[in-house]
Amino acid sequence: MSAGTQGPAGGAPDTSTVPALLVMHADLAEALLHAAAAVYGPIEGIEVLSNSGLSREALEARIAEQVTHWRHGGLVLTDFWGGSCHTCGLKATRGRGEILLLTGVNLPVLLDYLHNRDRFTASELAERLQTKGRESIRAQRCSES
Amino acid sequence: MSWVLHRLDDRLIHGQVLVAWGQRLSPQRIVIVDDAVAASEWERQLYQDSAPGIEVRVLSVAEAAGAYAAEAAAPGTAFLLLRDLPTALRLVEAGAEIAAFNVGGLHHAPGKDKVAEYVYLDDADRAAARALHARHIGLDVQDVPASRAVPLASIEPLA
Repeated sequence: MSAGTQGPAGGAPDTSTVPALLVMHADLAEALLHAAAAVYGPIEGIEVLSNSGLSREALEARIAEQVTHWRHGGLVLTDFWGGSCHTCGLKATRGRGEILLLTGVNLPVLLDYLHNRDRFTASELAERLQTKGRESIRAQRCSES
Repeated sequence: MSWVLHRLDDRLIHGQVLVAWGQRLSPQRIVIVDDAVAASEWERQLYQDSAPGIEVRVLSVAEAAGAYAAEAAAPGTAFLLLRDLPTALRLVEAGAEIAAFNVGGLHHAPGKDKVAEYVYLDDADRAAARALHARHIGLDVQDVPASRAVPLASIEPLA
């Protein structure tokens, strides 16, 4: 992590913190947050949502409910492009200011978000995380000794 | 026959459709038949952007009734997606000759009760299912290809 020197803010969240909502299939959002906490430490200020058992309308309503208090924008972090978490996120956040969606969110992306959510605007952070996510997936052949 | 899947799913295009059915059947086109989505340019674009590499068309029921046979005769492979049983019945009554529907996700909503893990029906759904069954149109409950298809009639009285 290039930004790993920034620790958790602690105490009440700074008003400039970019809020985030994890919306993913099955238990992935909760599991991802749990894994991130094992690396980062206690995490506050992120909501998680599963699409399990929800119709499109119900999922849109849940997402809208979660982001309605975001006064200065935020990020909806989803698992894959074209999934209901992604498309319902787009519809639920339409016209609600600077809310951006990211797809393909993995542990490196979530950790980078945690380390940088107080340093950038929502748009800047989304751009950064998109790059971080792409850089995080690398193939490597194990060399034989 | 280009149609390789006729699916009832209130999420329309989503993960199971793109990943599970998509990998199995490789659709070149997805046709969504839905009056509400067809009436919204923004939503049409949402779905058209959601399936990279696949042509997505959004039609009203009336448009789809006329386009169904032409698509069936077209080369390649296509999915038909509808959000619920009443829409399926309307499409059939409007003239689309469909032999069977895959019943995917019909999720819980107020007034609907559980028939299967991911299938909830209300009175309008049941009436449509009975009308389709009376026309000898198959209704098989199956969320993904790896699951076993279960005839709706075996878990819900349709006669």
